[in-house]
Amino acid sequence: MTDFSSALGVAASGMRSQAQRLQHVSENIANADTPGYRRKVAAFEAERGPDAAPGAVRPGPVSLDQRDLPRVFDPGHPMADDSGHYLGSNVDLVVELADAREAQRSYEANLRVFDQLRQMSTSLNELLRR
Amino acid sequence: MDVRNSLAAGAYAQARSQISTTPTGQPAGEVFAAAVQSVAGTLQEGEAQARAAMTGGADPHSLVLALAQTELAVETAVTIRDRVVEAYQEILRMPV
Repeated sequence: MTDFSSALGVAASGMRSQAQRLQHVSENIANADTPGYRRKVAAFEAERGPDAAPGAVRPGPVSLDQRDLPRVFDPGHPMADDSGHYLGSNVDLVVELADAREAQRSYEANLRVFDQLRQMSTSLNELLRR
Repeated sequence: MDVRNSLAAGAYAQARSQISTTPTGQPAGEVFAAAVQSVAGTLQEGEAQARAAMTGGADPHSLVLALAQTELAVETAVTIRDRVVEAYQEILRMPV
């Protein structure tokens, strides 16, 4: 049963990580038109520590995408320089949507694993009950 | 959050191995008491997580995890209790 328990913990850590990934995606999408905004990315890493389940995952530290910010031509913008350009955000909505969809799929996979583990442990208990 | 060691089944497996290998070791009563205490610990953990989730302190994943583990532990404990009571009644039914 300890296998079930630790596997449940690992699946829950996967769901938690994907939820946080979706949080960064939503921040990026919300700030797609913010001048000077750099998109946030968080690479996943293995969870370490005395009470961490082996194999659990967690989102790493947030880093900012260092790609060049696009120069947007808008002379009426309050942040425009002498040539009428200002620095926009380097958020690509297509990339963010793909990332969100990937997070959703991965979350679903973790959820299925969680559900299956529960079903398996319940079946095992049923066997004990007979 | 580490509740995997406090699951009843783990304690039960431990108890079984102890009973089968060293019959003169730990008495069964103590082993069962330890198992029940670990189940109670899992229950308390689940309740604490539920309280924290209701007050906004914990994320729902921890709540679901704690509740699933509590369910597992309680199911196992109830099953084992039923079997023990059944065996006891079987002994009581013995013609003397």
